[in-house]
Amino acid sequence: MIVQLHQLAAALYLAAGLAAGLGLALPLTRLLRVAVAILAVGALIHGFSFSLFHEATPPVPLTDHAAAVSLMAWIAVLFSIVLLARARLLALTALVAPAGFLGTFFAALQLAEPAPTGLAGSGSLPHAHVLLASAGLSLLGVAGLAGALFLVEHRRLKSKRPVRFSTPLPSLEALDRANRVALALGFPLLTLGVASGMLWFESSTGRFWTGSTHETWSAVAWMIYAVLVAARFGTPQGSRRAAASAVCGFVFLFFAVIGVELFA
Amino acid sequence: MKVMLVGMNHRSAPVEVRERVAVDDVTPALTKLLASSEIDEGILLSTCNRTEVVVVTRSPDAARLRLQSFFRRDLADEGEAIGPEELGDFLYEYADAEAIGHLLRVASSLDSMVVGEPQILGQAKAAYAAAVDCGASGPILNRIYQAAFATAKRVRTETRIAERPVSLARVAVDLAKQIFEDLENKRALMVGAGEMIEMAMRSLRGAGLEEIAVANRTVANAESLAAEFGATAHGLDELPELMTGADVVLSCIGGDAPVITRAGLAAVLKARRNRPLFVIDLGVPRNVEPELDDLDNVYLYDIDDLADVASTNAKARKQESERAELIVHEECQRLDGWFAALRAAPTIKHLRERVERIRKGEVERALARRSLSDEQRDAVESLTRLIVNKILHAPMTRLKHEAETEEGMAYLEVARILFALDEDEGDA
Repeated sequence: MIVQLHQLAAALYLAAGLAAGLGLALPLTRLLRVAVAILAVGALIHGFSFSLFHEATPPVPLTDHAAAVSLMAWIAVLFSIVLLARARLLALTALVAPAGFLGTFFAALQLAEPAPTGLAGSGSLPHAHVLLASAGLSLLGVAGLAGALFLVEHRRLKSKRPVRFSTPLPSLEALDRANRVALALGFPLLTLGVASGMLWFESSTGRFWTGSTHETWSAVAWMIYAVLVAARFGTPQGSRRAAASAVCGFVFLFFAVIGVELFA
Repeated sequence: MKVMLVGMNHRSAPVEVRERVAVDDVTPALTKLLASSEIDEGILLSTCNRTEVVVVTRSPDAARLRLQSFFRRDLADEGEAIGPEELGDFLYEYADAEAIGHLLRVASSLDSMVVGEPQILGQAKAAYAAAVDCGASGPILNRIYQAAFATAKRVRTETRIAERPVSLARVAVDLAKQIFEDLENKRALMVGAGEMIEMAMRSLRGAGLEEIAVANRTVANAESLAAEFGATAHGLDELPELMTGADVVLSCIGGDAPVITRAGLAAVLKARRNRPLFVIDLGVPRNVEPELDDLDNVYLYDIDDLADVASTNAKARKQESERAELIVHEECQRLDGWFAALRAAPTIKHLRERVERIRKGEVERALARRSLSDEQRDAVESLTRLIVNKILHAPMTRLKHEAETEEGMAYLEVARILFALDEDEGDA
């Protein structure tokens, strides 16, 4: 059931992505709104599937890689829907929906063939770690996507090319705001995720730091992000540089936290 | 019954001729036109780019002459009648389907100087309302104008003819909206106090931007423009300070040297905390150093950049206008059918009256020779009426149907000959 619900959510995210792409290309604002509605239905089904995790036999722990990736995709979609509702960012659906699809589709494949998690532990700490780190990673992912769209728009405006789509693309200011909000919420969550991870390791191994690849890469990524966040909020940094930092930072973070685990 | 349209527009006549027949209040001229016996209905549209009158008439030749004199005498200023040679070939004339098609194109803004501009629909609605108020518009023009408004709505919703701006001021506003989320809480700085600045201020105000500062060499000129828009007036020496708070800067001022330089802006960038700045340079020679565009958060567009965007948008509108023409064609065809059926109505009515007269005459003659009870007389009346209705049903249905086709007029003509309707008209 969990797998089927994941597949359905992935299909809806894909449909939302296609509808949003078409909405931009045709261009039809109404189609973009339909895309957001499909995305919301997908998020509902996706959310419902999590409630079945503990009822599965055996129960699926959040520490499972597939579950964590799925959770990240879900939080990213949820946060984007909130952003879409508050700002004129409909076009962001064209990026968020495919990202949500990839995460959920990958999770559905993995959940079909459950693998034992490499991380051991019990109690609330593992779940807190996965939940907080996933939320942080998702929000920083949304910041990265908003940053990517900002860079495309910035480049177009600088090159004086007339807009190809007459559907209103998000303004640079709206994209910059989305980037700032996502970063402001995402980094503290990531920090709490890292801290809860260290507490979890301490409770299971007796040490805060074991020197594992996951820990090392995560710590480096966190430090890089700390510098980026300090630059963003501590100095009058330009929006373009902030957008580029958000994109680069997320690429590195994704590799450090997910890529290293997957390809190790 | 004929629909006739006579008029002149920006393509057929120069402005010095158009301005002589343009009127602000159409009602007096329309009332005068409707006083003519050959005009049954009429609507007059007068804008800066066109003056057109559309009428419904049963005497096309007389109406044509009346409309010519309407343009020469009634529309011209008092005591300044225009001679026929002065009107020359400036007037165009359309009849029936062509006239209807033209009206639909005008309302849909396909015949405008700037294709897709929205004002013409409002002007057409105002002209129609004025005609309705003074009783000049009747059932035929009512129907045609309602169709014209519906067509304009279809064109606007089914095509993107009006989406992309083509005037420099509106292109600038459109670009500002691609940079800023909301213009209402933004500040604009206008450098100069000329006509271009005034037009741009109007567009920016229209887009919701409220806080505007005007800086000019001659502060008195800045003050008079600022007073008109509720803006603040400044001298050029205050530019650095004004640039610190501005989000949109629009410059169009005379002089050989740039008034906004990269060094000058770089000095205030820190105070601006790197907020994005949209700079529009409409000056020739340019008022803003092009190197300004190298700065990260500065988006500089000069007059050529805006013209390029406007020209691309105009091309896109032209493509859309081809789709719009198809919609107009569809709606015209629909109206053609109605109009043809309208022309068939007098023939059908005439035919029914003639046959009824024959029936009535023959029944009266036959009954006069016989003594029948009232009941029997009623039965004969009903029977003959039934026979006539049955005989007429098929040809009348066919006439109504065929009247909507291309051969409709031929069918109507044949019916008039076969039933000798014209002789009957002569007899009557």
